Amino acid sequence: MVTLFGKRIRLFRPRTIWIRRIVQWFFFLLIASIAINHTLVENDMGIPLLGSASLHAVCPFGGVETLYTFATGGLLVKKIHDSSLVLAAIVLLLSILFGPVFCGWVCPLGTVQEWTGKLGRKLFKRRYNHFVPVKIDNILRYMRYGILVWVLYVTAKSGMLVFEAYDPYFALFNFWSTDVAWSALAILGITLTLSVFVERPWCKYACPYGAVLGVTNLFRVFSIKRAESTCKADGACSIMCPMNIEVDTKTVVRDHQCISCLECTSEAICPVAKTVVFTSGGVK
Amino acid sequence: MTLTAKPLALIILVFLLGGIAFSSAMGWWQTESTKIPVTFSEGEFAGQANPVDIRGSYTFGDIANSFNVTPEILAQAFGITETEPASFAIKELETIYLDSGFEIGTASVRLFVAYYTGLPFDTTGQEIYMPRSATDILLAKGNLTAEQIAYLEKYTVDIGLNTESVIVSTSVPVQTSSEISEEYIVKGKTTFGELITWGVSQAVIEALINAPLPDSATTVKDYASANGLDFETLKPALQAEVDKARP
Repeated sequence: MVTLFGKRIRLFRPRTIWIRRIVQWFFFLLIASIAINHTLVENDMGIPLLGSASLHAVCPFGGVETLYTFATGGLLVKKIHDSSLVLAAIVLLLSILFGPVFCGWVCPLGTVQEWTGKLGRKLFKRRYNHFVPVKIDNILRYMRYGILVWVLYVTAKSGMLVFEAYDPYFALFNFWSTDVAWSALAILGITLTLSVFVERPWCKYACPYGAVLGVTNLFRVFSIKRAESTCKADGACSIMCPMNIEVDTKTVVRDHQCISCLECTSEAICPVAKTVVFTSGGVK
Repeated sequence: MTLTAKPLALIILVFLLGGIAFSSAMGWWQTESTKIPVTFSEGEFAGQANPVDIRGSYTFGDIANSFNVTPEILAQAFGITETEPASFAIKELETIYLDSGFEIGTASVRLFVAYYTGLPFDTTGQEIYMPRSATDILLAKGNLTAEQIAYLEKYTVDIGLNTESVIVSTSVPVQTSSEISEEYIVKGKTTFGELITWGVSQAVIEALINAPLPDSATTVKDYASANGLDFETLKPALQAEVDKARP
């Protein structure tokens, strides 16, 4: 730390939250192992110590999809198990406390989009993640709520996992299986292609689970907060934000798209210590 | 309170992995179907298994454990000729009937079980197809309402199964609909399963043989011989019940 013009500036700082990458890798490998092992078990093989759970059994969104049938008749939607409800409850609690950390730290589809996005970042430099005109972008970001309503409606009406046929997350970890619909594979392909131009396009525009968790941004306990008194207003936090949130214009980030990745904080891109922080209290 | 990345990472791991461990300890962490359908929570059928909750991963044996329908009857209904029908998984039906052009699968089994056992099942807005062999069994049982019969008439399809697509190592021959309807005469090779499909109730059979209903694949004659009953006496009594059930 050095003090320049009365402000404490960190000379050597990490530009990214490296531990988030480790957590993302951990969950990616865990889910991939579970998905592969499920296929192996179905073919009378299987890796010892890894359970035979299906991908649906370890997806918290299944718990949201089955809420209606569970509440009205005690039934779970086909292919969904109690574990999905447990995970949905845990993730909801985490989100109420810390925001959608599931999206930013755990979800393997988000992780894969970030990996693809690295190529886009190299190709397009600062233009990356800024291709979509702001007006259109602002409208598109509400599309995921429409998708959420549609998914909940068709699931409640049919008692089936209708969304599976369009789910890129299911396709990502089952592309080798005949269970995957071509539509899901196509949506996965489109998502990964768009990731080269836009960071996390599925999360921003289409993810119904992101829509559910995004709402917690409005009342979460821990939030991203910016201290105006020490802020250099260099815009670094906004440039770094994968969800294009203008952090530098806010004192508290309550944007419904924040994924709590902490990449905008003073621990990562912000050069001034204790200026953009993740806190339950106030900032000076 | 301010959090940095490392404690947040730890919290996320503890919440997720600890939550799973806790729910496992509490018995809430179920990643596979228990193969036991939920029960009706209220009304006349409260406490009985609900056919709506039958899943594709169930086998005919799983269904037999929860509903009063044997694997042999299910196999006969859906044209399955496995040596052990109890181990046949319902989800395989869709593959077997793939070429038929009609979706015959888990929903068809749910409907069959509901109609066979007299349990409620809402078909509103649903197009559930049924193979002719299954419909014949349901009609023979004679406990359907006019509305249910009309539904079956609308959605019953005559399908010639490509038997090569079915896992065949048969011990229980599949009856075709014509065989079922041609004759209802109790013979030496008549099985208890056939008697049931012809409409004779389990209670009546048990009263006549004075014992619990044997395996449905057992022939009446074999059972009589093995249990010291006179087949020639039993046969007309059973025939009379068959005639009553199918006037």
